[in-house]
Amino acid sequence: MIPENFIQSNLQGISFIGPELILTLAILLILLVGVLLPYWRHRILFTILAVAGLAGSVLPLWKLPQPAPDLTYLSNLFVWDWLTFLSKPFFAVVGVLTILLTQVTGEIDNSEYSECTILVLAVTMGMMLLVASTDLLMIYLAFETMGILSYLLVGIRARDERSGEAALKYVLYGAFTSGTMLFGFSLLFGLAGSTDLLAISQKVAFASQHPQDRLLLIVAILFFLAGLLFKTASFPFHFWCPDVYEGAPTPITAFLSVGPKAAGFVLFIRLFYPLFATGHDATIYEAVSGLDWPSILALVSAITMTLGNLAAIHQNNLKRLLAYSSIAHAGYLLMGIVSLSDLGLRSVVFYLVVYLFMNVGAFAVVAMVASAGGSEEIDSYRGLGARAPYVCVAMAIFLFSLIGLPPFAGFVGKVYLFAAVIYKKIYWLAVVAALNTVISLYYYLRIVKAMFLEKPTETIQIQVPLSSRVLLLALLVPTLGLGIYWQPLARVVSGMF
Amino acid sequence: MFFDFANVFIFIILGLLMTFVIITVSRLLAPRVSDVPDKFTTYECGERPVGSAWILFNFRFYAVALAFLIFDIELALVFPCISVYHKWLKAGSGLFALIEIAVFVGILFLGLIYMWNRGDLKWTKEVPEEMEEGLVLEEEKPITF
Amino acid sequence: MTDLIFNVFILLTIIPCFWVALSSNIVHAAFSLLITLFGIAGLYVLLGADFIGVIQVIVYIGGILVLIIFGVMMTQRGKLLPLSIQLPGKLFGAVLTGVILAALLLSATRTLWPVAAVLGEPQLTSAAIGDLLLGKYLIPFEIASVLLLAALIGAVLIARRSVRGE
Repeated sequence: MIPENFIQSNLQGISFIGPELILTLAILLILLVGVLLPYWRHRILFTILAVAGLAGSVLPLWKLPQPAPDLTYLSNLFVWDWLTFLSKPFFAVVGVLTILLTQVTGEIDNSEYSECTILVLAVTMGMMLLVASTDLLMIYLAFETMGILSYLLVGIRARDERSGEAALKYVLYGAFTSGTMLFGFSLLFGLAGSTDLLAISQKVAFASQHPQDRLLLIVAILFFLAGLLFKTASFPFHFWCPDVYEGAPTPITAFLSVGPKAAGFVLFIRLFYPLFATGHDATIYEAVSGLDWPSILALVSAITMTLGNLAAIHQNNLKRLLAYSSIAHAGYLLMGIVSLSDLGLRSVVFYLVVYLFMNVGAFAVVAMVASAGGSEEIDSYRGLGARAPYVCVAMAIFLFSLIGLPPFAGFVGKVYLFAAVIYKKIYWLAVVAALNTVISLYYYLRIVKAMFLEKPTETIQIQVPLSSRVLLLALLVPTLGLGIYWQPLARVVSGMF
Repeated sequence: MFFDFANVFIFIILGLLMTFVIITVSRLLAPRVSDVPDKFTTYECGERPVGSAWILFNFRFYAVALAFLIFDIELALVFPCISVYHKWLKAGSGLFALIEIAVFVGILFLGLIYMWNRGDLKWTKEVPEEMEEGLVLEEEKPITF
Repeated sequence: MTDLIFNVFILLTIIPCFWVALSSNIVHAAFSLLITLFGIAGLYVLLGADFIGVIQVIVYIGGILVLIIFGVMMTQRGKLLPLSIQLPGKLFGAVLTGVILAALLLSATRTLWPVAAVLGEPQLTSAAIGDLLLGKYLIPFEIASVLLLAALIGAVLIARRSVRGE
């Protein structure tokens, strides 16, 4: 053991994790400020610090060398490819939107605000690390950083039993699935004798030639599928989703519905791609034979979207409705994974970017209406269009985009996903997805109808402050813009794989 | 390695045996009286227990226990680093190792400062004044920007 | 001799597990868990992972389990409500466990595990772990401290809230 080598490697690689280091510094700074100043007065100060930390965290990215698929650093723990390069700003945006949403809606008590920002930053750091990791140990650590801290975020709201119950459910399911995933990791480690993903995929390709090893591979993959399906809220690990999304503070719900979900999908790509596809744009799934994996994943995808959409129909609480819609979207996104082609992966990444803006937008409206005197029930949206036209038009746009109607970004994203599946000739899945889109039309339009066509049942005055309007505008621009002029994003994404 | 643990193992077995022997001996030597109700009370010697042994702990203990657990894990992670520190020092990388360990401990030390500052280390039940003040103000006049 | 001790630890690990899963008294379940965790620590040591074994005792038995028992004592006053699992749940659990157990047993026995040559008695591992933590796994090591810090803050926040809320 020669320490010098590692010291060299660590010093050289440290610039690659610049974003995470800056986030850590921001966390420590917020903590110190919170300790040194009387903590309940400085909400805006913490917001500025957190947003500055997140914005600053992406600055070092442009100073780094060109990403390449095999550019690893820090003793092969991380890889510096386009997926990493693009994911880090993505998660920074998720974090900024969450912090700003907490700021403008005032959902979190002032006495807990600094802790909330610290946790959001730390989860963001975990997600950034997760997408870059290529080592099982690092993947698990980042996965748990994201997981454990998001359990705490769900339970952060003071004096609210629902928040506590949601956190407990999230912890129990989360601990179970991440433990299962860790077991899967240990089996892979036992087989390959290494935690490095590259070494594992070589060993897996070799082992799959031997019928004796196949069962172990299947068990291992099923085990870590549990963790991935949990994080992405897919069948059969989706039960937690509605309760947790309903009980958590709304900005945190928005955060969970895009952040860890996206991280889960990126991890899907990181773990599954090397294991299943023996080459890029592989038509072969030889790596782990014995089970027809594409069909299994396709089935999971179809069940996930159908369950989500069918359950969403009867919901009267908007957060629950959006939770089921988020389950359905996990099903749509799985379509891209099912096709296991470059096209499929591109469409997943494209849709995740689009989904970020439209879904956070929908949750933002829910949070704003609730904090402006309304509630999360559909009743308080009846006739809201006349009293708060700006917010309602924004909500309608986000919902249309979630359905996947033409002029909006969601449409382009869905076209890519459908194209990926059809390209792979999995027609039945495309048909199921199309039917699901029709089902989803019903419950999304129910909200639009309530807002614009129904008489108000309550006469509460909804006053949305200027800051909220600006934030909504910031979410509307990409939702509309990417629907009309999506080529730049498509070009960036197609350079990735 | 097994030799070190064999010592531990023998101590554990001796400890278990000890308990077993003592209970057996007292069982053999003690007179069997079964019709005295005091035999079945907690102290068996006439001392009446007051109330139930099942009391509700103050929740504050739990916060301290959680903090203990965190620092327990910190200890577990730092210990192996300390055990090789001498080797790194001799290899000429002592400063590097020291900084690494100091960063690790320093980050968690901030957590301790935080707990101390917010009064989570106090064993008494009362809420610190400043927190009370913060709470009251916050409920009277919500501060939004 | 080692085989005998190994079997003792196996039994110490497995038998209390049934109590943990099936006992209707949560205190009994918690104390059974203690024996299980101790048995696992023994298995670690026999596998040559001395450091993990000691950490198992310090963190799991000394920390987490005490916290669990603490939690039980704290939340319930007087007589404990018996826990019970309905029959369909039990059946489902048994079937699922059986399938997973069978799959694991089959795969564990069939797989061609890469086995390193055993060179006498295992050596102490804490020094090697220290080298790795300061060298190759430095970043995970430091990230762990950030995770622990954030977890500490969040956990204390939630616990403090409960104090105020009472």
